[in-house]
Amino acid sequence: MKRSWYATPYALWMLLFAVVPLLFVCWYAFTTPEGAFTLSNFQEFVKPRYLGVIVRSLKLAVYCTVLCLLIGYPTAYFLAGRDFNHAQSLVVLILLPMWMNLLLRTYAMMTLLDDNGVLNAALTALGLGKITVIGTEGAVVLGLVYNYLPFMVLPIYTVLKKMDYSVIEAAEDLGCNPIRVITRVVIPMSVPGIVSGITMVFMPAVTSFAISTLLSNGKIRLAGDLIDYIFNQSSNPTRWNIGSSFSLIMLVLILISIGFLRKVDPDNEGGGMW
Amino acid sequence: MVKNTRAAKTFRTVWMAVLMLFLYAPILIMIALSFNASVSRSQWTGFTLDWYVKLFNDPAILGALKTTIEVAVIATIISTVIGTLGAIGMHSMGSGMTNVLINVSYLPMTTPDIVTGVSLMLMYLFCHVPLGKWTMIFAHIAFDIPYVLFSVMPKLRQMNPNLYEAALDLGCKPLQALWKVIIPEITPGIFTGALLAFTMSLDDFVISYFTSSDMYPNLSRIVYSSTKLGVKPTMYALSTLMFITILILLVLVNRRTKLENL
Amino acid sequence: MVQDTRLIELKGVCKNFGDTQVLRDVDLYIRKCEFITLLGPSGCGKTTLLRIIGGFEMPSSGEVLFEGKDMTGIPPYKRRINTVFQKYALFGHLNVFDNIAFGLNLKTPEQMGVKTKKEKKEEIARRVHRMLKLVKMEGYEKRSIDALSGGQQQRIAIARALVNEPEVLLLDEPLGALDLKLRKEMQLELKAMQQQLGITFIYVTHDQEEALTMSDTIAVINGGRIQQIDNPKRIYDEPVNAFVADFIGESNIVDGVMLEDDLVKFSGVEFQCVDEGFDTNEPVDVVIRPEDIMIVGEDVGMLTGTVQSVIFKGVHYEMMVESGERTWKVHSTTMQPVGTSVGMTIVPYNIHIMRKATTADAVPVQDKTNKEA
Repeated sequence: MKRSWYATPYALWMLLFAVVPLLFVCWYAFTTPEGAFTLSNFQEFVKPRYLGVIVRSLKLAVYCTVLCLLIGYPTAYFLAGRDFNHAQSLVVLILLPMWMNLLLRTYAMMTLLDDNGVLNAALTALGLGKITVIGTEGAVVLGLVYNYLPFMVLPIYTVLKKMDYSVIEAAEDLGCNPIRVITRVVIPMSVPGIVSGITMVFMPAVTSFAISTLLSNGKIRLAGDLIDYIFNQSSNPTRWNIGSSFSLIMLVLILISIGFLRKVDPDNEGGGMW
Repeated sequence: MVKNTRAAKTFRTVWMAVLMLFLYAPILIMIALSFNASVSRSQWTGFTLDWYVKLFNDPAILGALKTTIEVAVIATIISTVIGTLGAIGMHSMGSGMTNVLINVSYLPMTTPDIVTGVSLMLMYLFCHVPLGKWTMIFAHIAFDIPYVLFSVMPKLRQMNPNLYEAALDLGCKPLQALWKVIIPEITPGIFTGALLAFTMSLDDFVISYFTSSDMYPNLSRIVYSSTKLGVKPTMYALSTLMFITILILLVLVNRRTKLENL
Repeated sequence: MVQDTRLIELKGVCKNFGDTQVLRDVDLYIRKCEFITLLGPSGCGKTTLLRIIGGFEMPSSGEVLFEGKDMTGIPPYKRRINTVFQKYALFGHLNVFDNIAFGLNLKTPEQMGVKTKKEKKEEIARRVHRMLKLVKMEGYEKRSIDALSGGQQQRIAIARALVNEPEVLLLDEPLGALDLKLRKEMQLELKAMQQQLGITFIYVTHDQEEALTMSDTIAVINGGRIQQIDNPKRIYDEPVNAFVADFIGESNIVDGVMLEDDLVKFSGVEFQCVDEGFDTNEPVDVVIRPEDIMIVGEDVGMLTGTVQSVIFKGVHYEMMVESGERTWKVHSTTMQPVGTSVGMTIVPYNIHIMRKATTADAVPVQDKTNKEA
């Protein structure tokens, strides 16, 4: 048997459970419940309340990505340091939360931030007044950062770790001071990791589901929650079609952003999608 | 990286400490609360194991635990086999064909979870397949395979291309060469892939949510439903147990392979 | 010593990768116990040729015979040939012992000449030990591959191939990754091993000095064609074309015209030579080794020129002498200061005349009749 045939089960499975379902989404997005072609499903989203959700999702995802980059880059840089003795165990500790169920992590965050939660208990004990965090956009962004930060650290760390140390020595040799080594050599060379990290944080953040609901008591709804609502809770007979068209919009948005980011890193040196 | 001065090292230490606090404070607090006698989240009224007792007497949670583990184990096994075979197959193909097949793998990774979940749900419902454990498992396999593939492919590419030939040269038949040389050589990648697959399976909430039903809830679905019903310290107990289990597993795993190389 | 039996024979072997023709109509035979080197610049097709002999590539056309039998379609694991790969290709998941024992472990006790599995195990241990002794790596059995230096890995790779007692050992630039001193040592050791074991070595390299040191026979390859097959001395002394002359050792290659038999004109001067059979006024390549040009007094030289530069090369001086429009490279044990006007003479049998030939239409000649000349 030729070796290339080993890939057959893979090809079949991915076709059936990754490609075909998306075709279903496309089909439903462009048809009425009776199966006739229509574009009316997309018109739903010009309505302000849906448009508002999309704009808010994008906004919060951008905040989250920027914060993750600002926190994640130095973290990855420190971890990749050659003279950092505890790097190995710290890397594990930073990646560890990735292994915990997203929902449980958010649940833990909720416990901390709740009006009657630990944070407010601590503030009260210190004689400071209670603050309301749950329900604000800040809480949602915090929750997103908490969940997706490791996805920013990992690719940048991978790229930095792989970097040839002699390149840095060469830069020093050529007269770069430590700051310049970072700005002129380290950061430019880690662009693939940064791009990868941005993609990996931005994508799940913009489509995140449940995180915002939990951290805002259902007050702030992001794109993902809206899709869930349309599919599972609304009673509209065209709900599958409208939900599909919304899913398709999300998908296209994501693909455009990936395409844009890929232009920066055509060789995908940033180490894949995760 | 760049050589560090003393001040820079101090800054680094503080930075890491704050980061660790940010990442672990919520989890540690949750663990603490799982032993708190009071239902309140703001008062410590004494140590108790009641919530754990309740947890193990709750058939719904036990059922969900079983489902979660079952799904993760089955999905991991099947996706590891399919993904590894796929990687080996693709490695021996022309680059054109390989690129097409690899891009298929990027699809579930780039598609937002919610869209993946919805699309699978639509397909199942269209085909009149009732949502349940197996619809969830199939979905998990589909999103696990790429993780296995992308863990194994680099190992194959890094491998000295002559290794396989050396095995043939020394008398191995092609299948023997595969088993005796290639598989051992890429075992770290396969192991990593399986671990990632298992993790992704355990971690998944969104796709499971759309591809299963309340009849066969996994843990995340139980947690998600419970948040709407107010605080349940049994959930803290459950999270604590999961956290500790995973911690132990990862420490064991980390002795064999470096997590950051995933 | 080299026997006359033809062990491996290639007939009209061609190999294409897509549109690229890597080997063009290669005819070659390899005799028992011969140390033959396939020598050529990178990309010339020498490694492909070796891989075809090893069974890792199929020729696009042509035949490969082993003891007269066609083995074109026989997979590597059925050939009595073993290979030392360029980057050694040692198995990282096995230790030194298990690497060497790899091929033997695949054999049945009967194939090893013993009855039980236990005896086979003992026999394997014995043979592995013998090999480690041969490659001077005794005591390294339990070491991990990663803990070895490049030179040590090299030895293990050789042991792993030789323990299977192949009739032919293929070596693909095995010394390429080693430093110069180690490489020289290994060259001698390899040659000694080959003579001790009495098996055929087919050796691929781009290093002409290595080829000259070790080989019984050298096949110079360029552009997918064999340019010349001969013993090292004749390859050096009697290169068949300008490419071989240039590739082996250093040469001055100039354009000339053959006026009649034994008379050639280049650099505006007529020279006696010992080549015949050319057309009158046929343009030719004239090849002269730097050490064959003698520096004489300005008044008695056949050519005159001015010394442009002098470099001390250890045994000799290398001088560039400008004469007319060209510069001659001259090796001499006596030094002439820069700026000196000198004369140069060349004796007839050191003037090598070659037909103008592109690499594509060079005719390979396998003439081993007067090998030991």
